[in-house]
Amino acid sequence: MKLGVPHNLRLPVAIAALGLLFLGLFLLYPLFNVFSASVLDADGERLTFANYAKILGRPFYRAAIANTLAIGVAATAITTALAVPFAFALARLPVPGKAAILAMAALPLVLPSFVSAYAIVLLLGRSGIVTQWLQSWGLGFGSIYGAGGIILVYTLTLYPYVLLPTIAAFKAVDVSMEEAAQGLGSSPRRTVWTVTLPIVMPAVLAGALLVFIETLENFGVPFVLAEDMPIFAVEAFKLFIGETAPNPASAGVLGVLLILTTALVLLVQRRFLSARRFATNTRQAPPILRIGRPLQVAATIYCWAIVILALVPFFAIVVLSFMEFRGPVLHPNFSLANFGGLFDRSLRPLVNTLVFATLAAACVTLIGVPIGYVVSRWRSGVATLLDVVATLPFAVAGTVLAIGFVVSFNSGPLVLTGGPLILVLAYSVRKVPFAVRSASAIVHQIDASLEEASISLGRSPFQTLMRVVVPLMLGGILSGVVLTWVTVASELSATVVLYSGPWRPMTVVMFQALEGSGAGIATAAASTLIVVTLLPIILLYRLVRRYELSML
Amino acid sequence: MAGIVISGVSRTFGAVRAVDNASLEVGEGEFFTLLGPSGCGKTTLLRMIAGFTELNGGEIRFGSERIDRLPAHVRDIGMVFQNYAVFPNLTVAGNVAYGLRARKVATAEIERRVEEALALVQLTGYGTRWPHQLSGGQLQRVAIARALVIRPRVLLFDEPLSNLDARLRVSMRTEIRDLQKSLGITAIYVTHDQEEAMSVSDRIALMNAGRLEQVGVPVDIYRHPVSRFAAEFMGTTNLVPARMVGRAGDQFVSLRPEALHLASDAPQDWPVLSGTLAHVELLGPIMRLDVKLSDGTVLKAAMLDAPDRSLQAGATISLAYDPARLTVLP
Repeated sequence: MKLGVPHNLRLPVAIAALGLLFLGLFLLYPLFNVFSASVLDADGERLTFANYAKILGRPFYRAAIANTLAIGVAATAITTALAVPFAFALARLPVPGKAAILAMAALPLVLPSFVSAYAIVLLLGRSGIVTQWLQSWGLGFGSIYGAGGIILVYTLTLYPYVLLPTIAAFKAVDVSMEEAAQGLGSSPRRTVWTVTLPIVMPAVLAGALLVFIETLENFGVPFVLAEDMPIFAVEAFKLFIGETAPNPASAGVLGVLLILTTALVLLVQRRFLSARRFATNTRQAPPILRIGRPLQVAATIYCWAIVILALVPFFAIVVLSFMEFRGPVLHPNFSLANFGGLFDRSLRPLVNTLVFATLAAACVTLIGVPIGYVVSRWRSGVATLLDVVATLPFAVAGTVLAIGFVVSFNSGPLVLTGGPLILVLAYSVRKVPFAVRSASAIVHQIDASLEEASISLGRSPFQTLMRVVVPLMLGGILSGVVLTWVTVASELSATVVLYSGPWRPMTVVMFQALEGSGAGIATAAASTLIVVTLLPIILLYRLVRRYELSML
Repeated sequence: MAGIVISGVSRTFGAVRAVDNASLEVGEGEFFTLLGPSGCGKTTLLRMIAGFTELNGGEIRFGSERIDRLPAHVRDIGMVFQNYAVFPNLTVAGNVAYGLRARKVATAEIERRVEEALALVQLTGYGTRWPHQLSGGQLQRVAIARALVIRPRVLLFDEPLSNLDARLRVSMRTEIRDLQKSLGITAIYVTHDQEEAMSVSDRIALMNAGRLEQVGVPVDIYRHPVSRFAAEFMGTTNLVPARMVGRAGDQFVSLRPEALHLASDAPQDWPVLSGTLAHVELLGPIMRLDVKLSDGTVLKAAMLDAPDRSLQAGATISLAYDPARLTVLP
């Protein structure tokens, strides 16, 4: 009783304390510094809202906010409109090749979206291949730079966020509800509108909000496609690069506004979804509906078209990376020169990517899984606090977190800037929410009495965690490791702020090649990233639980 | 092995007093049952003994050793759970060996004791099977073997039979009782099933709303309930105002259905109540009657079936009762 903590709470209390310590140091402290930079004057002494007034007083930044929100709403609406019928077709209609469609539909979530954006530029940009080909026929189309292109890429890369949970929801609809509706005289078509869709609505909205938040935070896609259109995350980055590091007041203002927006969206979602939860008791998966031949063909074409269109940019990049570039100009000859140019100087960036991803995946697992366990098993205020704090990185754009890291760990007792560790820590913090959610969902399915049985048989709570809970979670944990690994490998928004000198990963190489005129190197780097993210998924396909992708 | 002494134990969850100042003594080798409806606190009390729920007050001893502040994993308890809690990632033998491994018992001895324990629960030869290959009854045997094999000081059963079908429940409870008696390990058994409790227990503590309502041997609680709750929870009974059976006072009287006989079959000196037969049902050996008296009271009566008896709903009927089997309740 020295600690004053009851013996059966010592393990959760210890985990919660360590978790809060880590998140406090590497999440709350950097965010606090971003916040305080935004509300302090130039000397860092007096409270002021002058920074906010300055930023919000400039039409350029007001436009950045308006553009970001407008693009986010448009992309979310289009994505949802495309993904819900897609999900319905996969869950309830006789579409051939469902397994293949599902496997391919999950891929955009792990492939880097800025690669897709860059491919769109190479294909449809001013001197794009398709553009030039069309021009040779005297045809033209509007510019893909600006909002249109950004929305297109968001739609192609983010639709699985809506698709995957909605498929699951459609499959979880209790058949007897539909049967009841039809028994009451409702036609099948009307039943879908009045019964099935309302039941899956919470899942659709949850997915749609993920899309919206993702668009707010995304840095790479607007960086490639926005040109002179101001966008939130990009401007925060540019402001920060331009400011003196100790006091990033203006970048701080944008960062705080960005966090507030996402937090607001999340709060609205929580309120709305907690009030409307339609849990249904599924006895069996709902049946595949019988439809006419024309409708079946249409549904099949629809599903395959979306899946393939989303992957075409990635495929195109891989093909293009084996062609010859002279400066930015493409020559249609097979060539390995791009990869030569990429790897000749050094393999270091590739090694960096692999090492960072491995370290971050290990770190995320070691932190996220115990937190997920505590959040799921221990009902108390501390556990709720831990849950909220561990979910917070989800609402924080990578750029903003990275700015906080630089401000916090540039001087003082803990100096991390200039080294590799700062990247690994930033990645770990960013992916913690995924690990926590994934782990707590798995723990939720493990009967708590298994642990009690183990304890009563003489294993301490910690031994029980290691010997009973972890083995039963193993499949889920490994799946989480793979998914964390691949998403870290293609992380860009925090990376561009935090990388330094020899610690450039592959994403930065591509980013720098984009800024310069090394289109060849950029395609080779993009191809490499595609391989690095796809290979583990393909190799460990059986292990990966695809539904978890939507929690990333 | 040891007796269990529970003194002044309390636990509240929020505003709910789950267990309210409970004191009990369980003798060494006794089969003791905590019986009551759901939410009465019986499981909370069991979990406090096991170490999974903290006490707000009071203490628990095994023999002379105070255990309520020990971590659960050093209490040396064998616990059997409602949902078996058999580790799905271990074989049957692995499950049974689990507690022995935790105690660092030598491998050869583990093997011997696992075999022995499996034989006790009639699962000889099942050691290499996986839990998903077993039926519910077999899983519960594995759980029992796993709890017995560590030779615990105390055995705890948390509604161990409620997931089994009715027939298996009856045969398993006898088996559990026989095993416990042959090993002589003190056992505390939680159930909401009054018949199960009466069948297996040396003594029963009847619980209601966090309090111990009545503690005693099954037959005493059945025949001499101390409260309306005890009378009604322990089997079916008729609670009638004392005046109706010719007693003074405002109290109620418990009259068991089987204490009522058809007047024609009863001794002459038994008091008689008359009414109309509202409902009659034959449940195999037992016949149940609902008799509506002139004041509207419905009395339940039960008797063994007799081949020459024919009773029709709506008929007028006279019942006689054994005055010795009236229990006046406070």
